[in-house]
Amino acid sequence: MNISANGYLSGSNLERVLRAGHFAATGELGPPQSADGSTIREKAQLLKGACDAANITDNQTAIVRMSSVSAGAIALQEGLEPVIQVTCRDRNRLAIQSDILGAYAQGIRNILALSGDHQTFGNHPMAKNVHDIDSIQLVQMIAEMRDKKIFQCGDPFKGQEPCMFVGAAAAPFAHPIDFRPYRLGKKVNAGANFIQTQLIYDIEAFKKYMEKVRALGLHEKTYILAGVGPLKSPAMARYMRESVPGMLIPDEIMNRMTAAGAPWSGKGELTKEDKKARSGAWRETGIKICVELIQQLREIEGVSGVHIMAIEWEEAVRPIAEGAGLLPRPVVEPAAA
Amino acid sequence: MSDQPSFEPQIVAFCCRHCAYTAADLAGGLRFQYPTSIKVVELPCTGRLDVLHVLRAFEDGADGVIAAG
Amino acid sequence: MIVAETKPLDEIKALLSDAEKVLVVGCGTCVTVCFAGGSREVAIMGSLLRMAGRMDGHERQVEEVTVQRQCEWEYLDAIAEQVGAVDVVLSLGCGIGVQALAEHFPNAWVVPGLNTKFMGLPLEQGVWAERCAGCGDCLLGLTGGVCPIARCSKQLLNGPCGGSIDGHCEINPEVSCAWQLIYDRLTEKGKLEVLMEIQPPRDWRTARHGGPRTIVREDLRLPEDHQAGQSMKQEA
Repeated sequence: MNISANGYLSGSNLERVLRAGHFAATGELGPPQSADGSTIREKAQLLKGACDAANITDNQTAIVRMSSVSAGAIALQEGLEPVIQVTCRDRNRLAIQSDILGAYAQGIRNILALSGDHQTFGNHPMAKNVHDIDSIQLVQMIAEMRDKKIFQCGDPFKGQEPCMFVGAAAAPFAHPIDFRPYRLGKKVNAGANFIQTQLIYDIEAFKKYMEKVRALGLHEKTYILAGVGPLKSPAMARYMRESVPGMLIPDEIMNRMTAAGAPWSGKGELTKEDKKARSGAWRETGIKICVELIQQLREIEGVSGVHIMAIEWEEAVRPIAEGAGLLPRPVVEPAAA
Repeated sequence: MSDQPSFEPQIVAFCCRHCAYTAADLAGGLRFQYPTSIKVVELPCTGRLDVLHVLRAFEDGADGVIAAG
Repeated sequence: MIVAETKPLDEIKALLSDAEKVLVVGCGTCVTVCFAGGSREVAIMGSLLRMAGRMDGHERQVEEVTVQRQCEWEYLDAIAEQVGAVDVVLSLGCGIGVQALAEHFPNAWVVPGLNTKFMGLPLEQGVWAERCAGCGDCLLGLTGGVCPIARCSKQLLNGPCGGSIDGHCEINPEVSCAWQLIYDRLTEKGKLEVLMEIQPPRDWRTARHGGPRTIVREDLRLPEDHQAGQSMKQEA
């Protein structure tokens, strides 16, 4: 891929914003565990205008939810640009390619290629997984469908090829940590146009990672969006720090979350109102920390934007974007044909 | 079976040659009595006792097994 | 070796149903070494079934025999008479042994006494771990002798996912991260550049996904007139 060439790869809003040199912001929308499309419409309204595009998760944490393509199509109707997440866990290369054709036909223009959380974490741990291809091969497959106009098997398209802006994920602090920049390099070589990272709370550690990424020149070949997310409570922060692989949360942030609830500590049994007020204080601090993280990430060379993950808290995205000075989102007109 | 007053459990005692079996021998020499329902099997060492020996004892009618060593 | 585990006794009893004469057939190869279906386990199974029969009020005649290799016709010929004399054959061989018995003795009713688990090795006394998935296109030469197909929970081919932590897989702290092992091994050998190459999608036809597999070695086959003389099956 040559991102300095004229013309867009997919022409998606996300691509246009990034190509125009704006600091991008993406959000996240989790489809419901039901056939109810209205929740997507409601969440889409919360995210619309607060970010350039929103990831639509694909059976995240291996829990069955409405398909990302279908939910993405609904988001599109609501005026929210989707980034369809596609995992290798549930579908083989045939199914993924047919989904991509369908997604493109529906107007979807961004895809994030993922391995997928292992099914043992979800609500169907007894299921058989697929993993016909891995996430890097998936990136390559989507890029070649667009650039070489071929199916994975090598057969050429007989009609319109799906032109997708292809993304991949990066976990900068997962192990083996020394390999992580190189794994990112493989994803970029496979054709990843943009990268969304795992949640970043440890700016110093991320700076070191980015140094290596820059040394490999990867920031010039892809757009790196750093993952951020508001903490809801000290318990959530502790859980993430202790149980989520590759999640570094510095003591300072842990302490700030704890301090936010200090006025209610030692008060004995809390009333419902007390608990609500404490939760509000925690969330306010979580958003404040998130805003500060974005401001710091923005200063790091090679960071092209942020991916704001407010898990089941889509309302938080707008105040975060607002607080970080990211609003209003830029409007980049599609290039004249 | 056990609620019958006449029930006398058949016990197979797997005994190590170096201690329990020798002790039983000595008890015999001292004219101590033990019930005839206890069948002593001499082993070179109770480490030789296998789950199969225990199963076979039960299969052949034992009500209990004791490993002594 | 092939590693197997004994099925629960209740399941075996259900498989035997109302059979009065049962032959427990062990195998002297892999399942002997993993203590699941050798002569000792056959004797234990025989004893358990006889006692269970008595306790359930359904006494059974249970015979025991262990062949050198349940997966080869030649070794099965020796037990043809015993197989012919029972209602049910309970195989303590791997899944291959069960099928070899069923195929070789079409008149017999053969049921499995083991769950065949994987191809693996004993890590220590009493602990076995999977090592090979039999994918039919060995890539161990690329990965420093650690198989990502058998040992990575997602069968990844291009390096570790984000769930690798402190050397283990996120699905279970007891499971090593195959890619951490590969990374360490290649680092140690100065061959890390292998990991930088993008491995293309695999052709899974070599694995089970292309349908059941057969190998034909023409150099080893007997001339046709000899083959005709060799009966593949023998009536029980």
